[in-house]
Amino acid sequence: MVSVNAHDPERQEIVSRRTVLLGGGVSLLFAGIGARLYQLQIAEHQKYLDLAQNNQFNKRILTPLRGEIVDRFGAPLASNRKNFRVLLVPEQARDVDAALDKISQITPVSEDRRARILREIRRRGAFTPVQIADNLSWEDFSRINFQLPHLAGVLPDVGETRDYPYGAEAAFVIGYVGAVTERDLAAQESDDERTLLRQPGFKVGREGLERTYEKELRGGAGAMNVKINAHGRVIEEMADSAVPPVQGKTLALTIDAELQAHAMQVLSVPGERMPDEPQSAAAVVIDVVTGDILVLASTPAFNPNDFNVGINPELWKELNESPYKPLLNKPLSGVYPPGSTFKLISAVAAQRAGVKPSETAYCPGRMWYGNRYFHCWKRGGHGTVNMKDALKHSCDVYFYEIAKTLDIDLLAETARDFGLGQTYELGISGQQRGVVPDRDWKKQYFAGNPAQQPWFQGETLSCIIGQGYVTSTPLQLAVMAARVATGRAVRPRLVRAVGELVLPAPEAPLIDVDHDYLDIVRAGMNAVTNEWGTAARSRLEDEDWQMAGKTGTSQVYQITAEDRARGLQEPEDLPWARRDHALFVSYMPYENPRYACSVVVEHGIGGSRAAGPKARDIMKAVAEKDPASKQPLDPRTLARAPGPRES
Amino acid sequence: MSSIILPGRRRGVRDKFSRLHWPLIILLTMIAGAGVVTLYSVAEGNWEPWALKHGLRYVAALGLMVGIAMVPIRYWMALAYPIYFAALIALALTPLIGVVNMGARRWIEFGGLQFQPSEAMKIGLVLGLARYYHGLRAEQVSHILYLIPPTLMVAAPVGLIFIQPDLGTALLLGATGAIIIFVAGLSWRIGLAGILGGVAAAYGAYRFDILKEYQVNRILTFLDPERDPLGQGYHLLQSKIALGSGGLDGKGFMEGTQSQLKFLPEMQTDFIFTIFGEEFGFVGAIGLLLVYLAIIFTGLSIAMSTKLHFARLTTTGVVATFTLYVLINTGMVMGLAPVVGVPLPLVSYGGTVMLTIMAGFGFVMSAHVHRDQDMYRSGDSIG
Repeated sequence: MVSVNAHDPERQEIVSRRTVLLGGGVSLLFAGIGARLYQLQIAEHQKYLDLAQNNQFNKRILTPLRGEIVDRFGAPLASNRKNFRVLLVPEQARDVDAALDKISQITPVSEDRRARILREIRRRGAFTPVQIADNLSWEDFSRINFQLPHLAGVLPDVGETRDYPYGAEAAFVIGYVGAVTERDLAAQESDDERTLLRQPGFKVGREGLERTYEKELRGGAGAMNVKINAHGRVIEEMADSAVPPVQGKTLALTIDAELQAHAMQVLSVPGERMPDEPQSAAAVVIDVVTGDILVLASTPAFNPNDFNVGINPELWKELNESPYKPLLNKPLSGVYPPGSTFKLISAVAAQRAGVKPSETAYCPGRMWYGNRYFHCWKRGGHGTVNMKDALKHSCDVYFYEIAKTLDIDLLAETARDFGLGQTYELGISGQQRGVVPDRDWKKQYFAGNPAQQPWFQGETLSCIIGQGYVTSTPLQLAVMAARVATGRAVRPRLVRAVGELVLPAPEAPLIDVDHDYLDIVRAGMNAVTNEWGTAARSRLEDEDWQMAGKTGTSQVYQITAEDRARGLQEPEDLPWARRDHALFVSYMPYENPRYACSVVVEHGIGGSRAAGPKARDIMKAVAEKDPASKQPLDPRTLARAPGPRES
Repeated sequence: MSSIILPGRRRGVRDKFSRLHWPLIILLTMIAGAGVVTLYSVAEGNWEPWALKHGLRYVAALGLMVGIAMVPIRYWMALAYPIYFAALIALALTPLIGVVNMGARRWIEFGGLQFQPSEAMKIGLVLGLARYYHGLRAEQVSHILYLIPPTLMVAAPVGLIFIQPDLGTALLLGATGAIIIFVAGLSWRIGLAGILGGVAAAYGAYRFDILKEYQVNRILTFLDPERDPLGQGYHLLQSKIALGSGGLDGKGFMEGTQSQLKFLPEMQTDFIFTIFGEEFGFVGAIGLLLVYLAIIFTGLSIAMSTKLHFARLTTTGVVATFTLYVLINTGMVMGLAPVVGVPLPLVSYGGTVMLTIMAGFGFVMSAHVHRDQDMYRSGDSIG
């Protein structure tokens, strides 16, 4: 330790000098604090007094515009429109019931709605404005504004609401938005998001792409300081301080809205012999090169605009109970036995098993197998047919002959290779897989019934013509047609771009199959439409757009001897729900395939009669427009329209 | 008792008691009283949950201060390094055994009690540095070799607290250390170079993302409050409105509309000066600042009048910490300093800081009581 001079005058002097300096510095800083106090409390006192006494600052959330959903050429399928609405601040209204009475003199507020409003007030507290009426006409909105001095706590407001310009025509592609629920709030990651969702009238995606892409479409909230007076009314907006909201990303789809609308219209045309029956049908058109879904149609459909404004209970009941299932997204969620359209797969599987296309079978109209007759659809039989003829005329017996020895697992593997028994990444939930039966599947399906677990060859006879356990969705059938046409494992897609990010087309590797096998299947399909086969009526005349197809009629109910005894002659005599489904798959042009299409008409009786002509009409429009030849929208060119906007 | 005190004999407790700096105690009590009054108002006229507890804590802390003052300052000098290193070890252990609270690991548990090693270090660093310079001759202070230990003594705890992360306390501690070294007599040239180095280090920390995003935001918001009109800027604006609307003589006790409307966060701690200023006006706020200034000058005069070098520097260090608290807090609520979460000493609610401050003044008081003692000759009669 260094020895230290006890008195140490030198060090004391330094410390004293420095301490005095320190005291001086501190005094200066305190003077600065004092000066600032003088500035705030004396010099600018009046300014702050005004701010304090008359006004308060409040932070207001600016809701973002929801991102648009557009078709492949930029036509809006879901956008936003002005929504004239009325909010109520319960605390300022004091008597909420009286306020609602007054409002309902101008625009009716139903009892149901009133109960909902009161519930919402209880839940959210007296401070938060609640929406009491929206989508008002300009006239009603003006009348409320005029009456405003007598309506305490009522807040007219121009908001934005979701608008679906194509209404029911694109309902199943887009889905719809709905009011925020407690569960939505609980699922949010941050308080900021929760605050945004609590804004009056805020909507979140409920179904379809609106739900799947909720995060991308929602956008980011902005905020603004506002001055409010003692009654909570905004008297000045501090626009300088505003952080503008950011609109949600635009979703650019593969859909061609024009063709979609056309397809919806074609599907709705009633059948020739059943003009009174609504058409419960589905159609899918895909670009076989890119996998782009151009049309995803389902009838009858609901109008998503009805959901957007809060669907009324009667309409909801009607939609739910209709036998034509207008809420079911039939192309993706409807499962149907593929019927004879499945023979495309059966023909490939047969060749894989060693059957030569030139080999023939004799069709007398039915075949005995096991302990019963298996019938051909043509009572009199087709006579001697080879593979191409069997496809062209859709001969069942030819395929029964093959099924006698065909391994079901090979048939199933081929079906999966061509797109059946699986779902696709489209961003729409509720897709069905359908059933591609094989030995494993049966074992699992009959887990509780060991006697039924082994595969019986007779079942292969049903399966090979697309009946029995086999089921599929219209989307899968369109994919099947596309894969037969190209020999590639085409994967469909629905979303082309999210915001400015253009998604790459899904990979479509060659299917591991001898491609000569496919040529004969294609030739068969060509014969169906162009060589007086089962769908000669659905032939496209345009030389450049020769369409190859395959009809299908899948049995829903087997007509019994009893039925016949009761005088049942024609399929039309059966009740609607028991009639056969009509199916048709096709692609075009035959030589250089670009588009594939599937049509399913529920209980439409005959593939060639009900489904084929619809496919022809849809494909004709597709051929005329040829959307694949046109440059699709570049999402980077979309102009964003931000700008602060009040909620 | 005899008034004649024999050399080498310790003073009686009673005699020491009479040598306490009573004006300083009165000034400190005035500040704590202002705290009780304001906390009562913040709670809308209730003793709960803050005012009563604040008063009781002050009484306890005052007892601690007097207790520390009764112990001869040279004993404290002997304990200086142990206290410093104990605090440093506790600080180093915090990341390992600490309790996470509000997203930062600042507390450790010791015998069922939680305490903040960073608070203990505020005392420890002052004592440690004072002890170090006590052993140096005047001409050694500016010698570069003798500058290394104190630099490390400051840098180690500052770094440890910085990574907790507690930017406010780290800066406070760094500044306190710098002031002690300055008062000890560091040459101006080295001091200036040190400041430039500090600025460069701060810029480096910013450039290389050492600071957390919220810390950078606080500093940037301080430099330009318009940057964030809805977050930090919003609180600052509310604070300015409350203060400014108070005017010359204030809105009166418990009449502070802005504060009572709860436009501000942390009213009982960081923004308490705003409430005081709104309710008691410019006159009240300046009055409070003058009391603070009186305490600071009393402290500095004690530093100058005490004989032991260690006591002089300890006193300056304690006063410096106290001063920084006052300046940063008041500057913060008026938009002159970043919102870093520094309380107003003895007014803001919070036991730990009060304990630190009063313990610190315990050493100041001990320096005063034993002002005539030096290293070798204790108990000089002063007649």
